[in-house]
Amino acid sequence: MKTPTETTTRLRRQTRARPKAHPHDHLLRTDRMPHIWCPGCGIGTVFGCLLTAIEKSGLPLDDIAIVSGIGCTGRMAGYLNLDSFHTTHGRAIPFATGLKLARPQGTVLVASGDGDLFAIGGNHFIHAARRNIDLTVICVNNLNYGMTGGQVAPSTPFGARTTTTPVGNIEEPFNFCSLAAECGATYVARWTSLHARWLTDSLVEAMTKKGFSYVEVLAPCPTTFGRRNRLGSGADLARFFHERSVIRNGIDPREAVLDFEKHLVVGKFVDSTRPTFLDNYELVRRREVGEWPFREEHTPHTSGRAHN
Amino acid sequence: MERWHYHALQEAIDSSTLLVQGNRACALGALDAGVRFFAGYPITPSSEIMETMAYELPRVGGVFLQMEDEIASICACIGAALTGTLAMTATSGPGFSLMQEAIGYATMVEAPLVIVNVMRVGPSTGRPTAPSQGDVMQARWGTHGDHPAVVLAASNVADMYRLTMAAVRFAQRFRTPAILLADEVVGHMRESFSTELIGRYRLTSGDFDFTPSYVHPEMVREVHPPHVLGSKTHPHVTGLMHDETGFPTDDPAKSDQFLRQLHDKIGNHRDELCLYDVKNEGKGRVCIVAYGSCARSARAALRLAEQEGLPVEVLHLYTLFPLPVEIIQEVARRVEFMLVPELNLGQYAREIRKMAENWTTVISMGKVDGTLLTPREIVDRVAELIGKYESV
Ligand SMILES: Cc1ncc(C[n+]2csc(CCOP(=O)(O)OP(=O)(O)O)c2C)c(N)n1
Ligand code: SF4
Ligand SMILES: [Mg+2]
Repeated sequence: MKTPTETTTRLRRQTRARPKAHPHDHLLRTDRMPHIWCPGCGIGTVFGCLLTAIEKSGLPLDDIAIVSGIGCTGRMAGYLNLDSFHTTHGRAIPFATGLKLARPQGTVLVASGDGDLFAIGGNHFIHAARRNIDLTVICVNNLNYGMTGGQVAPSTPFGARTTTTPVGNIEEPFNFCSLAAECGATYVARWTSLHARWLTDSLVEAMTKKGFSYVEVLAPCPTTFGRRNRLGSGADLARFFHERSVIRNGIDPREAVLDFEKHLVVGKFVDSTRPTFLDNYELVRRREVGEWPFREEHTPHTSGRAHN
Repeated sequence: MERWHYHALQEAIDSSTLLVQGNRACALGALDAGVRFFAGYPITPSSEIMETMAYELPRVGGVFLQMEDEIASICACIGAALTGTLAMTATSGPGFSLMQEAIGYATMVEAPLVIVNVMRVGPSTGRPTAPSQGDVMQARWGTHGDHPAVVLAASNVADMYRLTMAAVRFAQRFRTPAILLADEVVGHMRESFSTELIGRYRLTSGDFDFTPSYVHPEMVREVHPPHVLGSKTHPHVTGLMHDETGFPTDDPAKSDQFLRQLHDKIGNHRDELCLYDVKNEGKGRVCIVAYGSCARSARAALRLAEQEGLPVEVLHLYTLFPLPVEIIQEVARRVEFMLVPELNLGQYAREIRKMAENWTTVISMGKVDGTLLTPREIVDRVAELIGKYESV
């Protein structure tokens, strides 16, 4: 099977030509190239946007850490010339939480797959959003488990074929954006991999924003998802997503549905502010949280879950 | 007196003696050793460690948070540890099981951190408020793959303080997770505890400022170059097999070398890592080899045996892994029996048998009813062994 498992990586390294100089070379670990991703994979596009966004953000490169889980997307960390942290499956967010809290001056990015962040790591996602840990979580949603050969994921559409849903998926997928917003994320956006400009802008906003930010990218996985669902090449899949997408900035994330028959809602859905975990931790340090239940004049430290 | 000992002071009996609970002493030891990050999840009988940390850490510039589960707790600790912050978590059996994958990760990426497991009766939910030593082999082999382990066992309140400090030191020096085992009785009992101990071993001074370049100056030479996040060197950290650069490798020679070096940095330093205490040295025909709360019973059993004229010595092990091969074999050469009382069905006795059976007879004395082994039970067994020997 043509999946980028550990064993095929070496093969691919040998058979591919070395890449030409890239405008973001200083951000890349060029000695780690060629990368493991398949031709036509959407992860590369997202990675490119991330490089541009990091540059545009103006954040000092010595103070950005990237944390990944396990999966094809999880390999992003290893190609970025930043502090990079390739963790265990599903646990990128708690690792990133420890990193951020122990070293608050740094910007911490989490980049991982839909399975990693929302199946095995789902509980960590919802709690980090609730706590409003100042992280930027980037999810490459390729609708399946790419790394392990294309099994069903919590993002797989009803009816879609994967290796573990050979006659079609009978479960409903999550709407990750709605979940993120409901859990208290202060920035939520979704794009397809062809919305490069919007995606890059969202990444910059998310990175420079204080609070838990979530950016999702619908990206093609031609090798495992595309092939089983007869959706053609990576480019075909990317177009399939892009053609059906409709931009609906600011709508209630619950309405930002992914309906592959009709339309795929993309856009920026949440951009709000509330104190982060570390902001409120200062109150603990100063022993100033106050007496609960708070009286009217003393409720300064939370701000509900403003959706927008 | 350090300001973060407020909690302990509340329990002061007089100015020089405190009545301190084992779990509290563990937290105080961690604070004195410089631990400034704690993430945990409540579980009996370990929760007081976390509660003490919740109270004390914000006062000394540290970070405390209660996570959503034990997996998240240990992962957050590893994240913090890799910035140079000393991190610790504490749990009991069910939580310790959840932590296993991450313990292997910490071993692989050489993250220094301390994991305390206050053992309760298992398997599964078992008996949360009853003592056990059922997790000894899990502490050694719980995570997958060939890996080294540093495992200490506390037998009383002072141990909870001292050995927590030792665990912190070992974790730093060997850049590896260090596991401290206690059991429900050791964790929950209160004993008098000298105030002089507190603060004496502090490794860091002043408020901790999370210096990113912090690396313990005395690392053993086998440690691979530590990759500290925030140190401007842009390190890469991965649980994949990697070489000393930190990047993954499939190279058989490099994988082999890396794994062997991980083992060597522990195995080559047994003389430093293996802490123990021999009582009545060289005077026994039976040696009681014990650790944790059983070592308390063994020490009391020694006094009883002396009164009853039974020739007994006690080998009290504070370090279970790496295996204290040298002292076990030294004692094995001179005694007729090694009696191993444990609150499990002979987990560590099997390890001792492997090391000692060429020279002596190793007898396992296991108890799993959730009560302690009493000194009387141990002495009776000693008498039985000696009696049997006499009649041969
Ligand atoms: C505890 C554990 N279980 C299972 C695996 C195997 N595994 C590796 S990646 C992966 C799924 C990855 O899917 P996703 O997060 O969507 O990433 P993608 O490869 O699609 O980018 C799984 C199940 C693992 N590494 N660890
Ligand atoms: S996500 Fe799919 S296309 Fe991309 S590298 Fe993995 S298997 Fe290949
Ligand atoms: Mg995926």
